[in-house]
Amino acid sequence: MAVTFIRTLITIVTLIVLMRLMGKREIGEMQPYEFIITLIIADLACIPMADVSIPLGYGIVAILCLFLLHQLLTLLEQGGLFLRRIISGKPSLVINKNGVDMLELRKNNLGVGDLIESMRTAGYFSFDQLSYAIYEANGSLSAFPNDSKQNDSLPILIIDSGKIDTHNLNLIHVQKDQLISFIESQNTSPKKVEVLTIDGEGKVYLKEKGKKFTILHFDLGDNIKW
Amino acid sequence: MVKTIISIILVGTMLFAGAIYEHTFVNKQFDDFHQVLTTLYDKIDNQSAVRDDVLAVQKSWLEKKKSLHVFIPHNDIKEVDLWLSEAVTLVRDKEWKDAISKIEVLLELAEQIPKTFNLSFENIL
Repeated sequence: MAVTFIRTLITIVTLIVLMRLMGKREIGEMQPYEFIITLIIADLACIPMADVSIPLGYGIVAILCLFLLHQLLTLLEQGGLFLRRIISGKPSLVINKNGVDMLELRKNNLGVGDLIESMRTAGYFSFDQLSYAIYEANGSLSAFPNDSKQNDSLPILIIDSGKIDTHNLNLIHVQKDQLISFIESQNTSPKKVEVLTIDGEGKVYLKEKGKKFTILHFDLGDNIKW
Repeated sequence: MVKTIISIILVGTMLFAGAIYEHTFVNKQFDDFHQVLTTLYDKIDNQSAVRDDVLAVQKSWLEKKKSLHVFIPHNDIKEVDLWLSEAVTLVRDKEWKDAISKIEVLLELAEQIPKTFNLSFENIL
C-alpha cells in the first residue's frame, strides 16, 4: 500500500508540474489536441499508479512525451495562421446579418438544435437577439447581441433544415396546415426554410436558404402565450 | 514562446538521453548476465557445477536487478528469479538434465528481454 501511495504521489506531482507548464486553460477552453492529450495523460497516469508490476518510469516517460508533443504543437500553432487552422481549427460564423448560416453549422457537424442550446447557455433565447454568433475553435459560442431586440417570450423551433417539428408544433397549438399556408403566403415552402421559430407573442423568425432572415407575425389566437 | 522552447529542448534532451542510457544500460546488464550464465551452462554440461556456482550467479543477478527494476516490467524480473531459484536446487541434487534446461531458458530470457527495448518495427507495432 505504501508503494502505491508513493507512486501516486510522484505521478501527481509530475502531472501538476506539467499541467501548470501547459497553461491554465479549463476543459471548455481547450483546443482539440489539448483535450486529447489531457484524456490520454489521465489514463497513462492511472496505469503505473495502480499496477506495481509496471515501472513508474513507463508512465512518467509517456507523460513527458505527451508534454513534449503538446509544447511542439503549441509552438507550431503560434507559428502561423495556416498551421493554427490545421491544428486547432478555425472559428465559424454561424449567425450573421442574414441570420443562421446552415452551411457553417453543417461544416461543424452541428444542427440548429445545438446552436439554440449554446445560445441558451450564453443567455440568448432568440436568433434575432444576436447580430453575430461565432463558434470558437474550442467549441464555445461567442455572441454579439443586437441591443435593439429584447425578447420576453421563448421562441420555439418549428422548422429545422426544411423539416417541420410536429412535437413543437403541437406545443404551440398550431395545425400543420395553418403553418404551411402561412409559409406559402410568404412565397416559399417548408422545404426551402432552413430555420423557423415562433415565440409566445407570435413573432416568427424565418430564414430561407440563401436569403436574409425575416421577422414576421403569426396569429396564435388569444389563449396561447408562453 | 521562450518558456515553450526551453521546455521542448529540456524535455527532448532528457527523453533522448534517457532512451540512450536505457538502451546501453539494459543491454550491458544482460550481456554480463548472459556471459555468467554461459559459464554456468558449460559447468553444468560438464557435470562439474556445484550449488555455490549457481548461488554466485544468483547473487550477481540480485545486484543487477535492483537497478533493472527501473526499466523492466517487474514480472520479467520475477521470471528470471524463479528460473534461477529452481536451478539452485537442481544443481544441488545433481539433476543435470533438468538444470541445463533451466539455464537454457535463462539464456533465452537474457537474450530476449533487452530486445524488447530495441528500436525495431516489431517493437513499435
